[in-house]
Amino acid sequence: MSSRARKLLAPARLTKWAVSGPPFVFLLLFFVLPGVIMVIASFRYPGEFGGLAPLAAADPNTLHGFTLETYRFFFSDLIYTEIFIKSFLVALATTLICLVMAYPLALLIARSPKKRRDLMVLLVILPFASSFLIRVYAWMILLGPQAALSQLANGLLGVLGIAPVHLLFSPFAVLIAMVYVHLPFMVLPLYTNLEKHDPNLLDAAQDCGANAWHRFWRVTFPLSLPGIFSGSTLVFIPVLGMFAIPDILGGTGDMLVGNLIKEQFLVTRDWPFGSTLSIMLTLAVLLFVWIAAKLGTTRGRYA
Amino acid sequence: MNHNLRALLLLLLLSGNALAEDVLHLYNWNNYISAETVARFEQQCACRVEQDYYSDNEEMLAKLAAGASGYDIIVPTGNAMESLIRQNALRPLDKSRLPRLKNINPAYLDTAFDPGNKYSVPYAYTLTLIGYNAEKMRELGLPTDTWAVIFEPKYLEKVKGRITVLDSQRELMAAALKYLGYSANDTIEAHWKQARDLIIRAKPYWAAFNASSYIKELTVGNIWLVHGYSNDIFQANLDAKKAGRKFTIAASVPKEGAVLSLDSMVLHKNGPQPGLALQFIDFMLDGKNSAELTNLIGSGNPNLDAMRYIKPEIAQDPAIFPDPQHRAHLEMLRDLDRNQRRILSRIWTEIKLR
Amino acid sequence: MRRGFWLWAASLGAYTFLYVPLFIVIIYSFNDSRLNAEWVGFTWHWYDVLLHDNDMLAAMGNSLFIALVSSLAATVLGTMAGIAMHRYKMKALTFMVLTPVAMPEILLGVSLLLFFIQVLNLTLGLVSIILAHITFSIGFVAVIVRARLAGIDESIFEAARDLGASPWETFRYVTFPLILPGVVAGGLMAFTLSIDDFVITFFTAGVGVATLPLRVYSMIKIAVTPEVNAVSTLLMLLTLTMIVLASKFSPDVLRGKT
Repeated sequence: MSSRARKLLAPARLTKWAVSGPPFVFLLLFFVLPGVIMVIASFRYPGEFGGLAPLAAADPNTLHGFTLETYRFFFSDLIYTEIFIKSFLVALATTLICLVMAYPLALLIARSPKKRRDLMVLLVILPFASSFLIRVYAWMILLGPQAALSQLANGLLGVLGIAPVHLLFSPFAVLIAMVYVHLPFMVLPLYTNLEKHDPNLLDAAQDCGANAWHRFWRVTFPLSLPGIFSGSTLVFIPVLGMFAIPDILGGTGDMLVGNLIKEQFLVTRDWPFGSTLSIMLTLAVLLFVWIAAKLGTTRGRYA
Repeated sequence: MNHNLRALLLLLLLSGNALAEDVLHLYNWNNYISAETVARFEQQCACRVEQDYYSDNEEMLAKLAAGASGYDIIVPTGNAMESLIRQNALRPLDKSRLPRLKNINPAYLDTAFDPGNKYSVPYAYTLTLIGYNAEKMRELGLPTDTWAVIFEPKYLEKVKGRITVLDSQRELMAAALKYLGYSANDTIEAHWKQARDLIIRAKPYWAAFNASSYIKELTVGNIWLVHGYSNDIFQANLDAKKAGRKFTIAASVPKEGAVLSLDSMVLHKNGPQPGLALQFIDFMLDGKNSAELTNLIGSGNPNLDAMRYIKPEIAQDPAIFPDPQHRAHLEMLRDLDRNQRRILSRIWTEIKLR
Repeated sequence: MRRGFWLWAASLGAYTFLYVPLFIVIIYSFNDSRLNAEWVGFTWHWYDVLLHDNDMLAAMGNSLFIALVSSLAATVLGTMAGIAMHRYKMKALTFMVLTPVAMPEILLGVSLLLFFIQVLNLTLGLVSIILAHITFSIGFVAVIVRARLAGIDESIFEAARDLGASPWETFRYVTFPLILPGVVAGGLMAFTLSIDDFVITFFTAGVGVATLPLRVYSMIKIAVTPEVNAVSTLLMLLTLTMIVLASKFSPDVLRGKT
């Protein structure tokens, strides 16, 4: 390399580090490092009163140092696998319901005149403008025993001779709030994808004699798979770690992984086990991302 | 103009004064002191009382373990206090500055948590018991003097979906253990599992695990039967009366026994105002001040001098001041060690999932 | 024709589903009853209660302060990250910026709690909340800024360089004015996210420093009165204004969340 080129390169490199350095260092410190600390914490003993037991102790009889104890505890009882499977199922159900509700809406927006689209998208986003807790709280009111919705449902059930149901504090309440909170996450990527479809394709299919259902199932749907996958990821992952919704709307059986993790830190004072559960949750998320990516590529090949 | 200027100056002076004031930091239960009492103390000491609240001992301990500091006074329940003492987190009391300590009923002194009351002064207590809609219970012919009504399907069938229990690992386990005839502090895993099975069998009949909104549900009439705290149930009854409901909310101590939570005032080691804190404790030991809390929220009162200021209908309520026979069956919860906590958490997960 | 009808019906259903709950919250904030059940009559009472609720007002003050500081810092760091991601395609940085946005919030909350206590020995409070909020906001700002940069013709930067502008001058007079709408939109977004955040704040807030969402949460858990509806309505108004402003500055915001 000539000395002239090096001179030119030096300020460029300086600029690069001046621009990327600060966010890099900040995230290294407050995102990567805490993650590493959590991994380390999962291999330690809980402190007698909370926190972590010391790494080194003068008295060899007190617990200290590293251990596989929390992982052994995790696998010693099926209950923890069970709660992960349950969380997976709730996340899956939420994702599917979101998909079914979001698809027609995204399709309609994508096929509307350009002028109207922005407004329709804005209308999907606006509920975001209210805070997450408020959206959950809204369902507390709607599903309450005196609310019109409950009265209506129980009135109908009464006609059919079925005993009245409690909608609030039930798995149903948890699911409906999960869908409600995450629905826009599904609509937006779907719309972004559907908007790009070439309408000529559908015309061509029609010319070949395909009916409306065939045109959808053979043309639109396969092309929208990338949108479906990115929307599903945006819904599935947050639901998997959710604790607030079961906490507020759940009944006697609604506990998900998120609730269990929260409990380890705020009730049981068992940080190592809480860390272990968090790491398992991270692995579950990675597993899901991997499956989604796999499905995405194989399906993409056929499409 | 001149008038306004003077007002402004006065305001400045006042706010300057406020800044120079001493501040007492109190970390207390939600709604566990009367506003008038605080105002009176502020006047007397020419200081300001700043309060933060918790709604659960575990929450308070977890927050302190997570580094919360700056509190002069905390009001933990026995087991949490024991844990704080063993952590060396408390400051011993200078009893020469607490002349009114003699007002406390000796039955509430010298507990296993703090022998000799080196660190703590009893503040108030609550019982964990059965609260119910009296009319509904009578109508359905259900007993109200036993935990069976919370745990036995033959009773539960009649109140399905109208019951809530506390969303607290320790309290619910204690009730189940008591019903099974064990101590509330039993830590034998086999007994815990028995209690777990009892709870899982009863769970389908319960509407929810609930921490505090059962007060409102009782008042409205949605819920007829609860496993809850005596002061909450007292509150529900007051609210129901105020709202002109046609029913009354009552409470009773089950014959199998129940949990008594004695909350005590302690000084946190890192509190910046220990002198002021002692002044506050002695102030609260005054019968009149202590009675104010009981009259407000229906808490139990360990202060003998307070009895003459307490409204008679509260003083005679056996669910607040139980008779000696019931008192003998009351137990205070002890703290669990880390392994027991982990096992209990697993049992709790099983209870929630099954 | 029939198909169009079904599409409309399903979409209308979805819109109804999205809006009815929020309208209920707003309507009941004016209801003259302690219970969120039947309609009794119109009142401003709950707004009056709210204005005299010192704890709530203090929480509001905390929330605004935290949102202001954290969104300013996140805007600066996020803009830098967005530029770096666009220009240098740094894999490690891109990963660090995007992962906090994508993973379950509880994980970030819990790991920061551990880190603050165990490593920094920090008393949880304003500082820890602000640091946590910056961490998750950077990603949102960076994505919006990067989207803005992607829409700019590269040759304009070359032209500036050819005219002898230093990197700083290029940034100051060419790049920055071009991405400014994205930066502002990103900042407003970060502000909104911070005001709204519950999960991460829940783990990183100590005792004594409550934010608005934390207050709302404990009110929902303990005793719900229409005061919650009143504060919700006001909060909705605030965040609504922010989002509309943000989308005015940069339409990318509409996709920034995806």
